[in-house]
Amino acid sequence: MFRIPLLVALALAITFGLGTFSAVWALKATIGFGSIALGPWNAFPTAQTSRADPYAKAHRARDGALLFGSAEGLVFRAANDSAGQPLSGGCSYDIVGLTPQARFWTLHATTPDGRPVPVARDITGGLNSWTVLRRPDNSIAVHVAADAQPGNWLAVPPGQPFRLVLTLLDTPTAGSSGVIDLSMPAINRTGCANA
Amino acid sequence: MRSILFATLIGLLGAAALHILIILAVPYFTGNDAYTRISDLGEPLRFYPLPNETVAGGGLINDDPEMRLAVCALSVAENPVRLYAPPGVPFWSVGLFDSAANEVFSMNDRTAVAGALDVVVATAVQLNAIRKALPQALSQSILVEMPDEDGYVVLRTFVPTATMDEAARAFLANAACEAIDQGTLE
Repeated sequence: MFRIPLLVALALAITFGLGTFSAVWALKATIGFGSIALGPWNAFPTAQTSRADPYAKAHRARDGALLFGSAEGLVFRAANDSAGQPLSGGCSYDIVGLTPQARFWTLHATTPDGRPVPVARDITGGLNSWTVLRRPDNSIAVHVAADAQPGNWLAVPPGQPFRLVLTLLDTPTAGSSGVIDLSMPAINRTGCANA
Repeated sequence: MRSILFATLIGLLGAAALHILIILAVPYFTGNDAYTRISDLGEPLRFYPLPNETVAGGGLINDDPEMRLAVCALSVAENPVRLYAPPGVPFWSVGLFDSAANEVFSMNDRTAVAGALDVVVATAVQLNAIRKALPQALSQSILVEMPDEDGYVVLRTFVPTATMDEAARAFLANAACEAIDQGTLE
């Protein structure tokens, strides 16, 4: 005699459980469709527009981040190195190569949830195209490590996972689909402290 | 057995519908979107420079140590709003967004007249009045039509070296985001 109520309860449990869980998971897992992936780097050139897909709109409303307008710049983020391994403060990395055309760029590290990384106050938290040391062919080589390095050094917190953020300011790539032809610098792991 | 399968199928269909409903409804109910967070900073129609360090309470911060930025919540319901900042930094960019965080307009110092930020944000009706009157004070301004009444502005500047920090802070402190008096339009 409880057959029908049980079946209704089963259907409702699946509806609300799976529906809610999948929506929350989708909002946490992705910023939306329409990303550009260049090696380990990802950018969302239309995430701030009214053409953004519903997932992107839901994500930006939940995140509350201040996005870059298309004439302002384009933000590339990397969570993995070029070999696909997650970035970790227990390892050191070299960011090597050329950046896409832009008037300026900045590079800094964040925690996985996008907060500034906890590094010592007297260490500068980022690098930019004005102060970075270049090689003779105009390419860059940035050492990312928890300990001080010669040359270009980007400090990250020891032993904690982090993300890399490369912001291109006033770049012709932001508004166009031509971004696919561009090359971003590679992120090569050079060693780990306890491996 | 068949009825259990049927119930599961109905449940899955319902889950798909609920998933879509939640994704579409989230932007209206988060209370954590950029416009709400900027409105929470204080009075509208003034630029608030954002701190670079994490603040208690999860307020808005500037997460790029090489940039400085200021935000301003605005409404053109009553009067047009003028954004103004004199030149003096190596790079600035401004983004105008509506209250749902859709980009309305963006530009940087390269496209500005003499490197100064001078933008008038208005509704279509207000823009018509401005174009008709063509006041001297706004002759150099870039006129932008706001499809919505409410929105926010993000003003960014680039700080390549620590010595330029002072200039960047002064640039943001001097930036104006203010309603235009109807008197100046006549």
